[in-house]
Amino acid sequence: MSAVVDFPVKPEARPYLDAFRGTAGEPEWLAQFRQRGLTRFSELGFPGRRSENWRYLDLQPLQQHPMLPAVIGEPMGIPAGLRLDRAVLRLVLIDGRFAPELSAIELPGGIWFGSTTAAITERADLLRDVETGADHPFAALNAAFFADGFVLDVAAGVALDRPIEIIHLASGAGDASLHTRSLVNLGAGSRATIIETFAGEGKYWRNDFVAWRVGDGASLTRVALVEEGAQAVHFGEVMAMLGGGAKLDAFALLLGGGTVRHEANVTIAGDNAHCRIDGAFLVAGREEANIVTTIDHQAVGGKTSELIKGVAAGRAHGAFQGKIIVREGAQQTDARQTSRNLILGRRAVIDTKPELEILADDVKCAHGASVGDLDEAALFYLRARGIPTEEARRLLVEGFLREPIEGIADPAIREHLLRRLGDRLGRLESE
Amino acid sequence: MLEIKNLHARLKDGREILKGIDLTVEPGEVHAIMGPNGSGKSTLASVLAGRDGYEITQGSVTYLGRDLLEMPADERAREGVFLAFQYPVEIPGVNNMYFLRAALNAGRRHRGELELDAGQFLRAVRAKLKLLEISEDLMQRAVNVGFSGGEKKRNEIFQMAMLEPRLAILDETDSGLDIDALRLVAKGVNGLRAPDRAIVMITHYQRLLDYVEPDRVHVLQGGQIVESGDKSLAAELERRGYGAVDAA
Repeated sequence: MSAVVDFPVKPEARPYLDAFRGTAGEPEWLAQFRQRGLTRFSELGFPGRRSENWRYLDLQPLQQHPMLPAVIGEPMGIPAGLRLDRAVLRLVLIDGRFAPELSAIELPGGIWFGSTTAAITERADLLRDVETGADHPFAALNAAFFADGFVLDVAAGVALDRPIEIIHLASGAGDASLHTRSLVNLGAGSRATIIETFAGEGKYWRNDFVAWRVGDGASLTRVALVEEGAQAVHFGEVMAMLGGGAKLDAFALLLGGGTVRHEANVTIAGDNAHCRIDGAFLVAGREEANIVTTIDHQAVGGKTSELIKGVAAGRAHGAFQGKIIVREGAQQTDARQTSRNLILGRRAVIDTKPELEILADDVKCAHGASVGDLDEAALFYLRARGIPTEEARRLLVEGFLREPIEGIADPAIREHLLRRLGDRLGRLESE
Repeated sequence: MLEIKNLHARLKDGREILKGIDLTVEPGEVHAIMGPNGSGKSTLASVLAGRDGYEITQGSVTYLGRDLLEMPADERAREGVFLAFQYPVEIPGVNNMYFLRAALNAGRRHRGELELDAGQFLRAVRAKLKLLEISEDLMQRAVNVGFSGGEKKRNEIFQMAMLEPRLAILDETDSGLDIDALRLVAKGVNGLRAPDRAIVMITHYQRLLDYVEPDRVHVLQGGQIVESGDKSLAAELERRGYGAVDAA
């Protein structure tokens, strides 16, 4: 397609612009929304190395070899062990599209839960005003191309006790990009727990975007488990907005994928909101993983705590960038950020970059970061009890990464993640 | 069971700590190695357990007919050598029970025995915990994390009781213990005395020996065993102090 466009287009955006067809039959507001995203992405292009939020990732391969949006999903099953057995509500997406045959959606009262495509017709009221950050190129690309996603809307005062599970699978067919766009909307005083799992095989680029709106006094727990294929690129971006007295517990466990980037942007808009963002990553071989967080305190009495732990083996590269902003009026903010990292082997690298931007005077902010080797004394202690060296190393790495996982309140999810971590570490030894 | 001949060892920086140790321990025996600070007691324990950081320049150590010094630390342990640490290491994130089961099963696999399942393991744990008066919730914590000094030492003896070694080396297990903890530790050690097991207790004081009676007592000084005798030697040392050994 060689349409005439009246806005500047970065060369690396051109293939995507050319591939854009829009989606027939979509409502006008959505067509405009997609067009705005496309325009924005065309102007922004790929972030360069000078872009602060992207400095630790090498985007060159993706930039040089465009991966155009997947046209149709390939049928596939859920890999063994990936599913959380306890979930009663499950939504599965294959290659970015809703797979009803693998999903289990029975709606309790006070809840709307379904695919984004269904929500476009049934719950346009929720979707119309979800904005994409102005300087987020891949969120803009996502807006233009998203195929599907999920929407969860919980009415005020409704508490969902069992976790809701979303499984994003990728078949790797056609070296494509998969764009999913989702929304979680919690009414005042409501409560929900979500686990989102990302897995696949082969080569693909997943570009996931999700907005969380946590109403006044509402409580959201969201766990992300990333076990993408070895050649996959995974960008997961979260935009969260917390109301007064709202509570967010977010956790990400990054266990696999060639290039994985997990970004969370949280705006603390209401007073006395609590935000906990914990995470752990394990990279080996030549994998890259980044956790990038921005917590923006705009209201009084907000509380943030972050604990991110990373392990890098082989020639892998991990990074954590954590920014905490405390705006002028956001007095009595209490923010703590901790980044602890473990390097296994001389060729592995981990970068950690805490950043505090404090514009209020009555606040408590603390951060700490460390990068170190495996504790030799602990290793000897385990070996002196007969545990073979490799198993002892695995125990220590697992012990190191357990801490943030143990902070997850839901026991079924916690045990599930510990099992997945154990499995991953078991495979690490043979790599 | 254990035969140490003319053992010389030095630190990486070249300082020689062990300067020709000779020691023979037979099955069923309990030996005490006493000596002042800096005499090489803990170095001897570390060298026997296979800790890195020491260079053996001369001599040999034979354990059950095999060259002990050739074996990596974890293999020594699976072959039945146990070191009770002077300073047990805290390992955050690694659960005590999980760790102990891994250790126990590593030994069982090594000997060609079936691994213990969770139920069998728990029963074994409970019996031995009772013996050492260790509370079960301590076992649900991370290894040695948040343990008091006495709890750490009791945990060492508890591990020893679980792993049932052939040769146990206790490195100053009595230091820092109050009298009640000392009695419990002694009870644990005495409970492990057996005709096919040898115990080497390294200690600065005679105190432990009041509760665990040794067959042989050795005095280590300046990296050598300067005197050996029966249990009466310990009492004598208590009276006259280490300074008098040279003159004796």
